[in-house]
Amino acid sequence: MIRLQNVTKDYGGRPALINVNLHIALGEFAFLVGPSGAGKSTLMRLLYREETPTSGSVFVGGVNLNRLHKRQVPLLRRRLGTIFQDYKLLPRQTVFNNVAYILRALGVDEKEIAKRVQSALSVVSLEHKADAYPDELSGGEQQRVGIARAIVNGPPVLLADEPTGNLDPATSLEIVQLLERIAERGTTVLISTHDTTIVNALRRRVIYLKGGEIVSDVDSGVYELEPNLNV
Amino acid sequence: MRHLRIFFRVIIETGIGVKRSGWSNWLVVSILAIALTIFGGILQLTMTMKNVVSEFGSQLQVSAYLKDGFQPKRVAREISQIPEVQLVEIVTKDVAWDEMKSTFKVASLANPLPNTLHIKASNPEAVEAVAAKVKLLGAVENIRYPLKVARKINELRHFLELAGFVITAALSAATLTVIGNTIHLLIESRQREIEILSLMGVSPFYIKGPFVLQGAAYGAGSAAVAILILGLVHVYLDPYLTDQLVSLAPFLPRNMEYGMWQTFGVMLGLGILVGAGGSAWTSGRYIKV
Repeated sequence: MIRLQNVTKDYGGRPALINVNLHIALGEFAFLVGPSGAGKSTLMRLLYREETPTSGSVFVGGVNLNRLHKRQVPLLRRRLGTIFQDYKLLPRQTVFNNVAYILRALGVDEKEIAKRVQSALSVVSLEHKADAYPDELSGGEQQRVGIARAIVNGPPVLLADEPTGNLDPATSLEIVQLLERIAERGTTVLISTHDTTIVNALRRRVIYLKGGEIVSDVDSGVYELEPNLNV
Repeated sequence: MRHLRIFFRVIIETGIGVKRSGWSNWLVVSILAIALTIFGGILQLTMTMKNVVSEFGSQLQVSAYLKDGFQPKRVAREISQIPEVQLVEIVTKDVAWDEMKSTFKVASLANPLPNTLHIKASNPEAVEAVAAKVKLLGAVENIRYPLKVARKINELRHFLELAGFVITAALSAATLTVIGNTIHLLIESRQREIEILSLMGVSPFYIKGPFVLQGAAYGAGSAAVAILILGLVHVYLDPYLTDQLVSLAPFLPRNMEYGMWQTFGVMLGLGILVGAGGSAWTSGRYIKV
């Protein structure tokens, strides 16, 4: 579902990713870990085509993103659910409208929107907050709205860029467990994080990035500060 | 159906954008309405002046005096074949002599007057060309026409056309700048929202469309206000101004109100075009999706 081939990303002589090769299969759940500046966010940004690689190829769902025309980028992003550390909710829209926004922009009819939004909110257990505004919610609730928005269009891939960065440990664990449940329904989930607690609690695939290179890639792994090389 | 729903949603988003803009809506519409009122006023004035000048110019005619022995009807037929000629009037030497005798006391002598043709050109600009062509005809002894007046009238017409164009261009540029800046401010204030929409995969049309429509709405609203102002001027001020002008210059036609509806149409069209165009340009420049 996700494939990177010899990907290098260079910001004016400062390499963020160096010759990265990676494959994540359909329905797989994986953590992308590493210290700040390791290249996690750069890799995520390549996947939702906010950046393009300096060299190498990025494939999502069989599509080579290097060859994607600018006007096709929105089509790609509709097939990806993206979750952000700062939630990126529309502050002047209710929870319902935040989740419904993309469906309305796609011309889905209101009955269908209501059904799909209710369903997405029930997955994140926020049906009762549909009329609330983002600033009336806790951080964990806001992130759950972000997840509901990401899954409402039924994307095959979910990318979460530091989704627990602004949350306390208990809420963080709730959020990743929620993402794990979503993955069980067949969605590919990739979470970038430097939170050792949540990674070690779930014991799923762990891809370790350091200095722009993958230094470890382990199934049922843990997040160690200096992992054994096992790519 | 899906596209219709998307378009409908874009209109709703436009309404939300207008609502959020608050007091700046009034500011933009006021500035644009002033610009469009000035534009409309000047446009109507130049159109009226141009028409008055043209009407005055259309009174100009070329008088051709024929040599003896040529049939005036035949020559008139020949002249009417010239493309720029609108009308040829024959004044035979007998008619002219009778008129002269009825106006002045003349001695009883043989009729010395020639057969005359009065020729009207289709527009004031053609008078000189018609005169030149008529002069070349073998049957024509001499011609007479007000050359200087014709040239002055044409110069004035050209000046008015140029002035109208320059004023339109200047006011369009000013209007574009006002709308462009307003939309730019709106975009800046909603930059984070735009970024979110782009990351969600919302299409550029859906993101930029409401800004373009908002600009068009500003243009249409401003044009409506400007049309109302000019309409009131037309109803309450024009009769008084016409009276004053006609009393000063009696040769002017009483009905000088030319092109009012055309002016209103141009104002509305220009308002919408400039509003939508300015917004589209600004959206294209500042929204990176």
